[in-house]
Amino acid sequence: MNPLQYLGQLSSLLRVPLMVMLLMAVASIVLSERVLTRLSQNQETYLTALASSYLDGIAASVSPSVVHQDSWEIFDILTRMKPQKATIYAQETVVTDAKNIVLASDIPDVHPTLGQMDPKFGMEFEEEMRLDTVSQLAFAARSIRHNEEIIGKVYVVFDASSLLKERREVLQTLILTNIGLAVLLAAIGFFVVRRMVLPMQILERHLLKAASGGLEFISDVEYPKANREAKRIFGAFNQLVGAEKEREGLVDRLTKEERLASLGRIASGMAHEINNPLGGLLNAADTLKKHGHQEKVRLETVDLIKRGLLGIRDVVQAALVTYRPQRSSRVFTLKDLTDISLLLRSDLGSRAQELKILPVPFDKVFDDLPAGPIRQAIMNLVLNASNASPHGCEIVLSISQSKEGTHLEVKDIAEGLPDDAGEILTAPLKSGIPDGMSGLGLWVVRQIADELGATLSVKPNIPKGTIIAIDIPRRSGEMIHAAA
Amino acid sequence: MTSSNKITLRTRRTFMLSSAMFLLATSNALSQSQTSTTIRFGLTPVFLNDDIHLLSVIKNYLESATGYSVELVTRRTYQEVTSLLVSGQIDAAWICGYPFVKFQNELDLLAVPEWNGEPLYQSYLITKFDREASKLADLKGDIHAFSDPDSNSGYLVTKALLQENGLSAESFFKKTLFTYSHRNVIRAVASGLVQSGSVDGYVWEVIREIDPDLVAGTKIVRKSDWFGFPPIAVSKRFAQTKKVNALKLAFLSSSEAEAGRAMLDYLRLTGFVNAKPALYDSVKRNVDRLGALL
Repeated sequence: MNPLQYLGQLSSLLRVPLMVMLLMAVASIVLSERVLTRLSQNQETYLTALASSYLDGIAASVSPSVVHQDSWEIFDILTRMKPQKATIYAQETVVTDAKNIVLASDIPDVHPTLGQMDPKFGMEFEEEMRLDTVSQLAFAARSIRHNEEIIGKVYVVFDASSLLKERREVLQTLILTNIGLAVLLAAIGFFVVRRMVLPMQILERHLLKAASGGLEFISDVEYPKANREAKRIFGAFNQLVGAEKEREGLVDRLTKEERLASLGRIASGMAHEINNPLGGLLNAADTLKKHGHQEKVRLETVDLIKRGLLGIRDVVQAALVTYRPQRSSRVFTLKDLTDISLLLRSDLGSRAQELKILPVPFDKVFDDLPAGPIRQAIMNLVLNASNASPHGCEIVLSISQSKEGTHLEVKDIAEGLPDDAGEILTAPLKSGIPDGMSGLGLWVVRQIADELGATLSVKPNIPKGTIIAIDIPRRSGEMIHAAA
Repeated sequence: MTSSNKITLRTRRTFMLSSAMFLLATSNALSQSQTSTTIRFGLTPVFLNDDIHLLSVIKNYLESATGYSVELVTRRTYQEVTSLLVSGQIDAAWICGYPFVKFQNELDLLAVPEWNGEPLYQSYLITKFDREASKLADLKGDIHAFSDPDSNSGYLVTKALLQENGLSAESFFKKTLFTYSHRNVIRAVASGLVQSGSVDGYVWEVIREIDPDLVAGTKIVRKSDWFGFPPIAVSKRFAQTKKVNALKLAFLSSSEAEAGRAMLDYLRLTGFVNAKPALYDSVKRNVDRLGALL
């Protein structure tokens, strides 16, 4: 991976200090190079001046002795002029005549008097002073002139280790200082960035928690003390959380109200269904009281009472079937279709509508579909179609099975499904119950379909009406039980 | 400067001429010198005349012993001091036996130092300490350091030895040079500048005590016969003056005074004695033997 890409993937908490360190390293290298170069130039200039002064002094002092070839005088001058406590001192000084014969050296054992000078030694010297950083020696030479004639030469080897040591010490100081600065700046960068990104980390933590269902306010304890920008963001987030919590509360309340309303409708429907036969039963009771002695009347009245009681039994059975708690993941069967037909008879009958189930299925079990959700979905769709359809029309429920799964369709000849109702079924699902509760039944259908992994589709019923279809794929038993 | 005979002879002739010129030109100055209250005392490198503290010790003693103020006069070479002495520009001088012999007609002995109880010393032939050399022949082909062309131990003795063996310094040695100090001869040999040297045995022994590191770089190849110790000499013309007598008494009685003993201790001498010029006959024999070679 490209190092820059790698750097870009790091968190800001590490990226900024690392970049600070990188920049410091680059700056340190450039600065150190410049400082050392300048130091080297200054040292060499200094050394050249020092060597020149020393050579001038030696050349002037030994010149008469070179003329007289007086080795002792030259030696005496060399030893007397040799600095004893200088940091840069002449390690070796050799004076030769014009033929490179050594007249005297301050180390005669190395350069024997009156011997030919060692050619290797002579090759170390150039026109200008030369600093050898490996041997830590500087080599300088000067011709000795007398009456404009070269009569000899002075060769000096300086010990330049102190200069090179100074360079090393400067380099070490630079490295240590720069490392110290880089670490210090990186640490400062780390703490500054940490302080900067801390609010974002708090916000990120709360957002992730909210996404997993744990919507919480950012507490005052987590508020940074002096970061106004972060306070503003946290304030906005808390407002958002407040609004969402308020909305959730409202939805809960509406759900409860809807439940109560549904209970009311059930109670009202049951009361209505029971009230009619009950009226007949009361009349029959009066008739029996008055004309019970007449056998014909008694028999007709008892028959009437029986029919009335059967009607009440049907109503009670329907209520039991519909609202009995699901204690098991019972599968959808042919019996459930009969139940649906029975349960919806009252609603459809009030509008003189008829539910037609096509084709009449022969299978008793439908792919292990859960009975409760499928019954609820079909009933909601049929009731929705019934509400939208005119009196006396027919609503068709068709159900078929294939290798892919089960296909359910509810057709009506109504004016068509409103857009918002269609959106509930097919648009991306929004959280919570739809506004206004007008499409609660369809919303339940959508919830069931999503739980079953089914696909909802809405299409027009040519020439008039709407077809709402549910395609339930074949799923594993676990999924189905989970939906149930 | 090489020590060839030609140069030496030229130097000697120059010295003689200079001496004559001094005698004529400075006669007035001489009389003034002899009548002043200051004793002008000349010193040569026959001892450690470059030791400032030693000079101070000598000056202090002579002033306290004579009652005169003392001016110590040092020069680089024996020849310069001898010239001053012979010309009367100084009252007395500690010179070498060889100049005394050369100017025996002009000079009188004032006192002679005693070293180890005898007014005698030797000349040493020395070489570097780690060299395999034990006799004169081993030094053939050396660069050889002499002390001074007017030194007995540092020049004349070795010249005479070579002559006795039918040799000459010019042919025996590769090159010779003068260092104008016995200490410098030791330095030259110890450093390796030269391979051998002729040195005053007394100076070598004293330096071995006070600067053993320097002497440790050398070793003795040959010791010469005994010669008369470098004397305190005075011009015959002023040998009986009050100042010179006071100076003579001071030297001869130096062991009796505390300051004098301090001086003697410093010089590693046992005292000063009266001596006859015959003490330097052995030097004179060498001079005579070499004759025109000097």
